[in-house]
Amino acid sequence: MFSRKPATELPRAQGQAGKARGRAPFLFLAPAIIVVFAVLIFPIIFSLFVSTYNWPLSQGAGVRHFVGLGNYAALTQDPEFWNSLKLQLGFIFIAIPIELLFGFAAALLLNREFFGARVVRSLLLLPVFFLPILSGMTWRFMLQPRYGPLNALLLKLGAPEITWLGNPATAYAAIIVQDIWRMWPFMFMLLYAALTSIPQELMEAAEIDGAGFWLKLRSLTIPLLTPTILTAVLLRIIDALRVFSEVYVMTEGGPGSATMLFSLYTQRQAFGYQKVGMASAMAIFLLVISIVFALTLVRKNMSLDVLEEKAGA
Amino acid sequence: MKSLLKKRTRKIILNTIIAIVAFLVLAIELYPIVITVINGFRRDINILSGQPFQLKQLTLRSYELVLKNAGFRLGMQNSIIVGLLSTAISVLIGAMASYGIARFHFKGRNGLAYSFLVFRMLPQISLVISLYLMFSAVGLRDTISGITLAHTSFNVPYVIWLLLPFFTAVDKAYEEAAMVDGCTRQGVFFKIFLPIVAPGLVVAAVFAFLNSWNEFMYALILTGVKAKTAPIAINGLLGGETLTWGQACAAGTIMLVPVFIFTLGMQKFLIRGITTGGVKG
Repeated sequence: MFSRKPATELPRAQGQAGKARGRAPFLFLAPAIIVVFAVLIFPIIFSLFVSTYNWPLSQGAGVRHFVGLGNYAALTQDPEFWNSLKLQLGFIFIAIPIELLFGFAAALLLNREFFGARVVRSLLLLPVFFLPILSGMTWRFMLQPRYGPLNALLLKLGAPEITWLGNPATAYAAIIVQDIWRMWPFMFMLLYAALTSIPQELMEAAEIDGAGFWLKLRSLTIPLLTPTILTAVLLRIIDALRVFSEVYVMTEGGPGSATMLFSLYTQRQAFGYQKVGMASAMAIFLLVISIVFALTLVRKNMSLDVLEEKAGA
Repeated sequence: MKSLLKKRTRKIILNTIIAIVAFLVLAIELYPIVITVINGFRRDINILSGQPFQLKQLTLRSYELVLKNAGFRLGMQNSIIVGLLSTAISVLIGAMASYGIARFHFKGRNGLAYSFLVFRMLPQISLVISLYLMFSAVGLRDTISGITLAHTSFNVPYVIWLLLPFFTAVDKAYEEAAMVDGCTRQGVFFKIFLPIVAPGLVVAAVFAFLNSWNEFMYALILTGVKAKTAPIAINGLLGGETLTWGQACAAGTIMLVPVFIFTLGMQKFLIRGITTGGVKG
């Protein structure tokens, strides 16, 4: 299966270990392959299998029987499924562009030295590493009626109190704002790193040629940052597709199903409604979408060859 | 001369404005974090009655309560055990695999490497339902081994790709010299190679631990009473009749300590840590 081409060109070592060399990569990779098979590949295959069954979680919830593609067909008839898909897509399409915009603006503005610049740049990253469940918890706290800081502020200003998480529209807005708050510094972090790696001479040359801020931005900065922007957006999409814990802690999908994002509804199907077959069909659906984005990202700019070229240089 | 002076004043004014805006934005960004930490040092009664924060409210009462809370203590203990175990396993297995990919050119090498990368990006919800069924069938549900295994599933692919840049950067001459001296491949890996890449291993271990430390969904679904981790215990503090914000925030602050220590201590590696595999030319 593996070619026996030696990794090194040393004649002596090759002679001694020629035979062992053929098995060597496998020996090193076997444990990882076994783990990945047991806890990633097999569960996926099993999910596919389960998704073709009416599979109640517990005995009392019905009888297990084969339904073919019935679960997938049933999903298309389920308004809650479409609702969760709509909320999920809305979440991605509203949050990520705003995060990109904020992150980009901050990267441009903070790419200079002023008093405290270093401190601002590093402390800005803390929300990214704030535990998602704590983010959900804190936002839930801030939006509480009566004692939440936001409502306290509203009352002080003479405005009426709002039950942010009790109202479908504001609850949905709140989970999105929570995500923007936490993740725009992620965009900033990547874009700032890319920005500082643009050679200063390039910018200076453009200035000498009389290019103003906007021209430099349009014809130099943005084109040079495009690969990073694409990577950052793809990483965020892949991440946002699986958002769960912060929303679960914040609203548990409610009120009603106003914040029932895709993962939350899948979890509800399996462990609330006990319809494991339906939930597995949803799981496979999300899996396919995620793989498409992951492959795009991988193909776009993650490359073994680049790694090796870098190492060789 | 005059225009140069004008330009300099303009620059100073601009920088001052930017500094003010930057600190304002920073204040907004840090507010939810600060409020979590502060609430941990307040009593539930002060929080729930909507009293504005005052210094004299500061107390260790919530910490006392939460550290006496059997559920949280168990969760904390489990989080530490699961974090350390899954980190150790993932770094060992991941380092071996990463070495295999970095140093050998075999058929299917690219395909294998890229599938590890894709596996790292799969949504947990897509795996957790079948893991639940599998674990129930073999008695791994609500056990430390089960949740450790689940955490290893996302950490192994993660570690492999986090380590690749470190591994490909090592000069092959070291290993070649050792092989000439009759050292076996395994010997080379453990005795020569691993010590050279020790810094990379530390970075991988830290991030793998944090991945496990922050993990919520697997713990929520695959554990119950015995093997629940700290995030589940914190969620439990918010699930009862009364919301014990003080205790939940104290517990959250305790969880936050290692996260922020590592975050601020490893700034150099942060980008690599969260975009793993993102090597751009």
